[in-house]
Amino acid sequence: MTMRITEGMTSRTVLQDLTANKAKLTKTQREISSGERITKPSDDPFGTGRTLQLSGELEGFSQYKENVNDGVGWVTATETALNQISQLTQRARELLVQGGNDSNGQVAREGIAAEIEALTEGVKQEANVTYDDRYIFAGTETETRPYELGANDEYRGNEGSIVRAIGTGVSVGVNVNIKEILGEGAGAGDNKLLDVLRDVATDLRGGTEENSENLRGTDLERLSANLDELTRVRAVVGATTNRLENASTRLEQLEESSLTQLTKVRDVDMSEALVHYSTEQNAYEAALKAASTIIQPSLLDFLK
Amino acid sequence: MAGVSTFMGLQTSLRGLIAAQEALDTTSHNIANASTVGYSRQEVDLSASRALQIVTGSSDGTGTAELGTGVDLDGVSRARDKFLDLQYRAQAMRLGGLSATVQTMESIEGALAEPGENGISKQLQTFWSDWEGLANDPEDSAARQAVVEAGKALATSLGELNAQLTGAKQVAEAEIAAIAGSGGEVEQKAKEIALLNGAIRSATTSGSEPNDLLDQRDLLLDELSALGQVSVAEKADGTVEVGFGGAAEPLVSGTEVDWPQTVTEPKGKLGALIELTSAGGTIESLRTELDGFAEGLANSVNEIHTKAGGLAFFTYTAGEGAATLAVAVNAAEVQTAADGSSGGNEIATAIGALRGGAVDRSYAAFVTRIGAEMKTAQAGETNAQALLNTVAERRESASGVSLDEEMTKLQSFQRGYEASARAMTALDEALDVLITRTGRVGL
Repeated sequence: MTMRITEGMTSRTVLQDLTANKAKLTKTQREISSGERITKPSDDPFGTGRTLQLSGELEGFSQYKENVNDGVGWVTATETALNQISQLTQRARELLVQGGNDSNGQVAREGIAAEIEALTEGVKQEANVTYDDRYIFAGTETETRPYELGANDEYRGNEGSIVRAIGTGVSVGVNVNIKEILGEGAGAGDNKLLDVLRDVATDLRGGTEENSENLRGTDLERLSANLDELTRVRAVVGATTNRLENASTRLEQLEESSLTQLTKVRDVDMSEALVHYSTEQNAYEAALKAASTIIQPSLLDFLK
Repeated sequence: MAGVSTFMGLQTSLRGLIAAQEALDTTSHNIANASTVGYSRQEVDLSASRALQIVTGSSDGTGTAELGTGVDLDGVSRARDKFLDLQYRAQAMRLGGLSATVQTMESIEGALAEPGENGISKQLQTFWSDWEGLANDPEDSAARQAVVEAGKALATSLGELNAQLTGAKQVAEAEIAAIAGSGGEVEQKAKEIALLNGAIRSATTSGSEPNDLLDQRDLLLDELSALGQVSVAEKADGTVEVGFGGAAEPLVSGTEVDWPQTVTEPKGKLGALIELTSAGGTIESLRTELDGFAEGLANSVNEIHTKAGGLAFFTYTAGEGAATLAVAVNAAEVQTAADGSSGGNEIATAIGALRGGAVDRSYAAFVTRIGAEMKTAQAGETNAQALLNTVAERRESASGVSLDEEMTKLQSFQRGYEASARAMTALDEALDVLITRTGRVGL
């Protein structure tokens, strides 16, 4: 038996088709207006999981970039200060060579000693330099001034290291342990910069033959050794700067790649969506047209 | 020759008139109910009435012949396919269940607000970023405050999401009560079926077929099967015995209703709602998963935060993590350094480095699970709807009123009526000759 088709069936089918077409059209419309393919988890459950993961990664990268920037500021301040200390030490070495020369009288040596003492104060001032209101050479005691000016050469900071996370599981130390370079002066006898400078001043003022020999001998050697050490540390800091700059470039690339992936997962391919939209709109309009014409005629229209 | 009444032909025509009249009435009834939900088209069952046996042969009187006496109306029957009813109810039950699941999951999915700027994942990322910001600036009390605030915002959102889950459960439970409770939808429909059973029984015993009452009862059974599993047994007296949801006693037996009862296999909308809200059901397992996430977050952060002897950053009640999560420290108590120094940032860095780890993954898994369950339910609903439409279409094809068909019948019965009237007129004219003119020769 052939299927009987009733008016109820026709109108219900038309209504179902209209609703289905309208629903498709609305979904595409929403995709186009929001620009996003996934607006709720059920649109694509695994895509949603991926979206959350990628958004987290992106947030992480932007934070790492901030960390890198902060690290660069810190390291630049360190570089500048170490550069200054180097220059002051270089000057001290020149004065030492000059003072060690016997042709200079004691008065001249006293003058040189005073200059050396001024340089020592200069070195300590550089060690007290701040970045963003924090003492960068105080270890993790960033709110404590590392050296008091004057005769006391005691180091007040600690030897803690300050690190910046610059990637997942990657961090870099941005501070320099200044105690390793400056030491704690004559009292400590640690052959570090302050100890040597204090000895140089003492030897310049001493005026004995032994003092002169010290100046020409051990003092010069020790000061040169400190200069070498400073150069080495500055090279390390320079390497850190490079590392941070590389990290910054790498983070840009990673961010770019995550963003591309996120776009692929989450965002609408506009040209595709627009093609779908016009197809669906045609289908909807056709269904509307069908609804207005198909339901109308029946035998009733032809019987008199 | 046995005599045949002179007026028999009139009687035969009268039967024809009556039959055509009944058929026209039925056609009108069909047309009037073309849009009535649950209506089955009706047809008059006509048959030739019992013939009159007459003796033939004028000489020996041994032959007989059957003389037709017209038409009889045997009854009015409805076009209904019981097999399609069974199929329809099975699909209605499936659709009822899946629609209820979709509805509940939709509210849960909406509460997530993922993916987007307002969801928990965004707040979690902000929380990690604030810890990393604090690692850059451990001396800054504003950075400490930011961490505390981000933690509080996260805890509040988790509490809210948990409350939404609880709310969804309460809504579903209220719906269960409205369906299966005393005086609920099931009982209401059962009472109507019982009343119809009574009316149908009296009609059946008096020999007629109460088509419209049967339609109404079938419609109620359709509606009942969207709510849960329905079994129908027809009795000889025309009543149906209705079982519901695997309950021990029939829901409707004759004119008696036995409800509420314990359902063992509810299915349909009721079954889906029970599955969503029961102990160990979907909503509870989602809440457990959310609690697990909240507690995992708190434990991971606390483990690092307490390393240098600091207080726990988060507190919660075990087993109710999402509802009770709270930040337990103020800005001054936030730990950043392993050695208590002002510029150390080991702790803050380590907490920031939790980003992208197990905590983030467990939340993403939670969201993915809700999305996947929702998608499955939606696909199931679409599928059940399509199947139900197909069955409904076939049922409509068997039982629905086609106006073209009714118009055609209207025409043919109308002609039949006219023809019977014409036959009666012809007989009347013949009798007129017999009665008024016969025997008047020469008068």
